[in-house]
Amino acid sequence: MLAIVSSAALSGVQGFPVSVEVHVSGGLPGFAVVGLPDTSCREARDRVRSALLSSGLEWPVRRVTVNLAPSGVPKGGAGFDLAIAVGLLAAIEEIPPESIASLGFLAELGLDGSLRPVTGALPLVDAVAADGVVVAPDNVDEARLVGGDGVRTVATLAELLTVLRGDAAWPDVAAAPAPPPLPPLPDLAEVRGQPVARQALEVAAAGGHHLLMIGPPGAGKTMLARRLPGLLPPLEPAEAIDVTRVWSASGATLPPGGLVRRPPFRAPHHNVSPVALVGGGHRSMRPGEVSLATNGVLFLDELGEFVPQALESLRQPLEEGVVRVSRANGSATYPARVVLVAAMNPCPCGRSGAPGACRCSDAARARYHRRLSGPLLDRFDLRLHVHRPDPEHLLRGSPGETSASVRDRVGAARVRALERQGCLNGRLAPAELDEVAPLTPAAVLLLENAVRDGRLSARGLHRVRCVARSIADLAESSAVADHHVAAALEFRLPVLTPESYASAVRR
Amino acid sequence: MNPADGIDGAPLPEAAWLAALLGLSDMGPRRLLLTLAGGGGEAAWRAVVTGRLGHRLHPIGRRAVELAALWQREARCRDVAEEWQRYRDASVGVTALGSPGFPAVFDDDPEPPAVLFHQGSLDAIAGARVGIVGTRRCTRYGRDVAFEIGAGLAAAGVAVVSGLALGIDACAHAGAISVDGAPPIAVVGSGLDVVYPKANRGLWADVAARGVVLSEAPLGTSPARWRFPARNRLIAALSDVVVVVESHEAGGSLSTVAEAVARDRPVLAVPGSVRSPASRGTNALLADGAGPAGGVEDVLIALGMSTGAHRRAAERRPPVGAATAPVLEAVGWHPSTTEQVVLRTGRSLGEVALAIDELVRGGWLSRREGWLERVSADRAGLVDAPANAAQPGADSHAE
Repeated sequence: MLAIVSSAALSGVQGFPVSVEVHVSGGLPGFAVVGLPDTSCREARDRVRSALLSSGLEWPVRRVTVNLAPSGVPKGGAGFDLAIAVGLLAAIEEIPPESIASLGFLAELGLDGSLRPVTGALPLVDAVAADGVVVAPDNVDEARLVGGDGVRTVATLAELLTVLRGDAAWPDVAAAPAPPPLPPLPDLAEVRGQPVARQALEVAAAGGHHLLMIGPPGAGKTMLARRLPGLLPPLEPAEAIDVTRVWSASGATLPPGGLVRRPPFRAPHHNVSPVALVGGGHRSMRPGEVSLATNGVLFLDELGEFVPQALESLRQPLEEGVVRVSRANGSATYPARVVLVAAMNPCPCGRSGAPGACRCSDAARARYHRRLSGPLLDRFDLRLHVHRPDPEHLLRGSPGETSASVRDRVGAARVRALERQGCLNGRLAPAELDEVAPLTPAAVLLLENAVRDGRLSARGLHRVRCVARSIADLAESSAVADHHVAAALEFRLPVLTPESYASAVRR
Repeated sequence: MNPADGIDGAPLPEAAWLAALLGLSDMGPRRLLLTLAGGGGEAAWRAVVTGRLGHRLHPIGRRAVELAALWQREARCRDVAEEWQRYRDASVGVTALGSPGFPAVFDDDPEPPAVLFHQGSLDAIAGARVGIVGTRRCTRYGRDVAFEIGAGLAAAGVAVVSGLALGIDACAHAGAISVDGAPPIAVVGSGLDVVYPKANRGLWADVAARGVVLSEAPLGTSPARWRFPARNRLIAALSDVVVVVESHEAGGSLSTVAEAVARDRPVLAVPGSVRSPASRGTNALLADGAGPAGGVEDVLIALGMSTGAHRRAAERRPPVGAATAPVLEAVGWHPSTTEQVVLRTGRSLGEVALAIDELVRGGWLSRREGWLERVSADRAGLVDAPANAAQPGADSHAE
């Protein structure tokens, strides 16, 4: 007797449909799972057996073979428990086979027969090849985001049995409650002074430009960075699903309501490994921090302390907006469209409060800066020095503009850019620039001088024009004028690499 | 071959023996005097080789026996004649204390160098000399003042003595060789073939070509920490007046000051902002009674060489426009950030950035690590302004 049940498995952040085929036959009693299951998958036998017995059912003293098709793809996790149990019950005709024909099953079983949530419910439900899907109560919110009204839930296996036998109707799935209001984000109005850094945040938000802040401890780098998500417009529904998919697949805690509605903000500690940052892993391919921050902000505090390999592994994702991870047992692609914000001290002592105050030797400074490669620094369109604000601004300064009003401007600038060229200014190709970012003659002169002085490379020129475009968009100007370019140049201060430091000293 | 003979068979000069003795590990001026014990270099060298230093090293204390053994091992595998040839090949002059060519200024010095190694001509030491010292971690203000005083003194025929370190030292010498004037004098802590810091290689060569570079250390000596205070003592001994341009609270320049005071040399300090950590040491010197040095004129007065009215160089910078003047005003005379200028002027970042760009280009402002500093006077080569960078001036020397 054979029963086939729909389920799904994860590969990266995408699910793929899996048919769980359960065959019960004569012969020596036994239970085998085939189709490249991992250990937790193979242990399903013991969980399913106990769950069946706890639910008042008999364990068939026969030979049971479970195949997870397609059988050539490795599968992991306990998410097949319910599908195996239901398939077994259908195969021994405890439940009518037609009752499960149009349903998928995704849940882990407890030994008491209760249904437990699985990691990655959203992509899994999306992938199940059936009209309806049965999930654990704790997965309902997440499952409904893509499964809609086809999502069913029961608390226990025994309850499921009565429904499938036709003795009871499906319990009502509680209508999704209105998502609770989001807790307030830190507001930009709390930042006193810092007009340049505030504007840099605004430009980063409007154009999706990566931002590097260099400044002594206590200058407010972290405070500023934490206010960037509040300047980004709320996620579009499709973006929100994308983000939730990644979060769900990685097992991150989802906000109440299941949907990530706000641009995420991820701030991994500086001892993060390359794999944890960009994704991958030994057995299961998990998305990294850069993917968890997709459509939001990835904040790297103390950039100089990160493992160099981890930073270098960010280069390709930042360029392409996706992470491609390849391992011996498969490959995966994760989204990685982030605004990267990084902060670091100007030198190991962090005392560069004023010229001449630093206590570091030249060699120590050179070592500190050598950890950042030129190509990585090149990814930052906005680089600025953040200084400690004057006490009078801290104590007596009026509160600055609120996040909400900046967000409106950022939203308008983003709309302008998207209507004009279909992408944010941070992703403009050099070929498009002349058309979408025409320069005034004075602006051309300014850029010409900067290139001639050696302040800008060809690549730098392109990036400065992109940033100037964003500044002009924020000012609702169609042409890029000289003061837009001047501000963009101000945001691209030369970062001290060992070479440039030596030249700065000997002056 | 008799080791006492030179390559060509002539006996080696006293300086060769002294240079060889100084080349032994951990040999400083004081230990050298003990080893010589009033005798000649050759006798001392033989005593070292044969291990018959006897009681000469007793004042050293516990390390005496260990050092004598170490020196004996080293001296046995060295050929004095061969080492002497290296000095001749490198055209480094060696003068021993008491020999005819030895600078007379050290005659009544409490701690004269036993041997002086020099590149260039010792004649540079003949005239009036002023030491200009200061911190490596200096501000734009300090660099400007050091350059001005260096240039002014050289033009007035006063030799500038300094240490060829980064920062103030380098700027003072860059100023001294930017004009056609008195030869510069440098005293360094390393051997004359070990250029330290490497960034000053060009300046080092220029000073040696125009004046003289002096050292107490034999060839091949790396700059050990203790050699810098020793070097500072020579700067103080060589200077008729010592000018401290910028110094941190416990900066190395203060050791030069102590040595100068011990030798009754007048010490002048350049007043700085009370907020600048790089001026804390100099301001403390002023409080302690050092004379203020506001410019070349003050130094010349201290030397007793006061001249008539000092004429300022004509302003060559482009005039500041009406639109940019408030920005220059907002930067003020303290290091400022763009942020502060935006707050002080109330203008938008774009406008301020445009004005700053114009001012930097015109040589009115300099920019470093996000800090803006106002440039007091036209310093052609030293100004960061790219328009001036192409000029052959002090900049190429300072590289």
